Amino acid sequence: MNAMGFAWRSLVRQPARASLGVLGVAAVGALLFDMLLLSQGLVISMRGLLERTGFDLRVTATDALPGQGPLIPDAITRADAIAHLPSVRSAIALRFANAVVQKEGRRGQYTSFQGVAGTNTHPWTMLRGRDIANGPEIVINENTSRRTQLQPGDRVVVRASCSDNKQALPPMTFTVSGVAEFPFDTPNGATVATSIDMLAAACGGNELDAADVIMVASRENASTDAAAVDVAQLLPELNVLSNAEAVSRFERGGFTYFRQISTVLTTVTLSFAVLLITVLLTVSVNQRLGEIAALRALGFSRWRVVADVLCESVLIVGGGGLLSLPLGALLAAGLDRILKRIPGIPAEVHFFVFEPSALRVHLLLLVATAIIAALYPIRIVARLPIAATLRDEVIG
Amino acid sequence: MIGGPAVQADERGPTGSAPLCVVEASHVSRVFPMPAGPVTAVADVSLRIAPGDHLAIRGPSGCGKSTLLHMLGCVEAPTAGTLLFQGKDVSILSDRQRSLLRLRQIGFVFQRFFLLPMLTAWENVELPQSEAAVSKAERRKRTGELLDYVGLGARADHRPSELSGGEMQRVAIARALANRPGLLLADEPTGELDRATGEQIAALLDRVNADGTALVIVTHDPALAERSTRVLTMRDGHIESEAGHA
Repeated sequence: MNAMGFAWRSLVRQPARASLGVLGVAAVGALLFDMLLLSQGLVISMRGLLERTGFDLRVTATDALPGQGPLIPDAITRADAIAHLPSVRSAIALRFANAVVQKEGRRGQYTSFQGVAGTNTHPWTMLRGRDIANGPEIVINENTSRRTQLQPGDRVVVRASCSDNKQALPPMTFTVSGVAEFPFDTPNGATVATSIDMLAAACGGNELDAADVIMVASRENASTDAAAVDVAQLLPELNVLSNAEAVSRFERGGFTYFRQISTVLTTVTLSFAVLLITVLLTVSVNQRLGEIAALRALGFSRWRVVADVLCESVLIVGGGGLLSLPLGALLAAGLDRILKRIPGIPAEVHFFVFEPSALRVHLLLLVATAIIAALYPIRIVARLPIAATLRDEVIG
Repeated sequence: MIGGPAVQADERGPTGSAPLCVVEASHVSRVFPMPAGPVTAVADVSLRIAPGDHLAIRGPSGCGKSTLLHMLGCVEAPTAGTLLFQGKDVSILSDRQRSLLRLRQIGFVFQRFFLLPMLTAWENVELPQSEAAVSKAERRKRTGELLDYVGLGARADHRPSELSGGEMQRVAIARALANRPGLLLADEPTGELDRATGEQIAALLDRVNADGTALVIVTHDPALAERSTRVLTMRDGHIESEAGHA
């Protein structure tokens, strides 16, 4: 019987102790797994979201995030110039505002209001109806449709609220051309979108050719960096931000807190796991000192009895570690639902995101836990004085 | 022969005959450092155990019997003197080499049996063979023979908790003989058993000895000691007397 088989039989011998250990590691392992998912979850999720929009560069007037800085003047002209660069596939200008959307006879609905200009590629996905054409048409998201009972073909009054515009703007009537999904929508967010001209008109006709951001998609055969260089050379007065740089800024900003929290909680959970297994193994070893001394007297090597304890630790941590994965996945789903209630978080962004590297780190940390937790009981076993223990057991 | 030493060619005497001595202790002492001052458990004891010897060590509690047994079994090192096992100085062996020596050449029987409770009788007997890398087929054959030898062939699948004290000690004896040791050391082997069961164990040990295994028994039981051909009486760490029986 090898050390692993021997350890298995030792665990089965005391099912309550073994179950306690496995369940304890499963609970701690689930937390550990979740912390690993959390540590990179937002970054991975945000990167995925940015990439799914189909645009890999964002051009803004300053290094402020889109919508938070000054408008880009002549944005439509500039977007057109960018779109003609050999490394660029498409470019659109986007302007952001807020609006109250009101169907006749119903209460108004506060929405975010987007205006787009440039190529035919729009940063939303049509669900019903058709995309906007020329003229006063808007697409709306599902939340807006549900709350205002608007459907494609309906007419709606839009009262825009634009940046730096303190005066009440005249309402404009639009036709709903379709219902679309917007990638950065929050779960309860209401969004409508039209052409940038129509948005400017709704904003009182000021800054007709201005936009908050120009979204750029590089060609498949050109790298993002090459496109970024081309855009920067074409429009040196503007700020060019790639998806990777945007994610990096998020990482340095608010996302850091989640990584710090996850690091602290990972350390705490691992410490608990080590303490739990160490206590269980130490109690187990102390209960079996006589047997271990007898095995040593019968010729079992020091390494063999050490291996027995190590294998026992590996089995407890391994069993608990396996259980921790589905448990952690369930827990992550629940925690993700709770955290996504934070205002302003896009529905497509997740706090807990699985990726293979998290599983690898999880396994490595569990292996380290098994080894570290076994160190003290291993020390007891390795340094066990055979004769004195046999004498003590008889006297005891 | 179920027991018996597995004597290697290089372990034989100079004439190629069986070695003259299984274990030889020359002026061995064992002193334990204690907070109140060192305690001498065994003092200047010399002893030779030949193949097939049947030796009992008697004496009052604390006289050093078990310590001497542990030194003979290479689980405790003497603080003075020399211990030769089959002519080799044990003090120069590494911990691993001493473990191997015990595994292949020495059997231990304990007062409290120390069978592994999660293993069956069969598995307890098989375990030392497995550790000694005996082949599976050989282990199966040997384990079956040993359990039959101690009269427990029908209880092979029973765990220690399902066996009586006498049965557990018989399994422990079978386990001690698993790797055909040349020396069997028994520390109060009947100490936990009633008189009748103790008698059965004593008879079994006699049989093991008759089959060629040198036997050293530490006991308080005069009846068990009387079955030996040599009886050492210890007092205060010294050998007080040695008597021989026909």
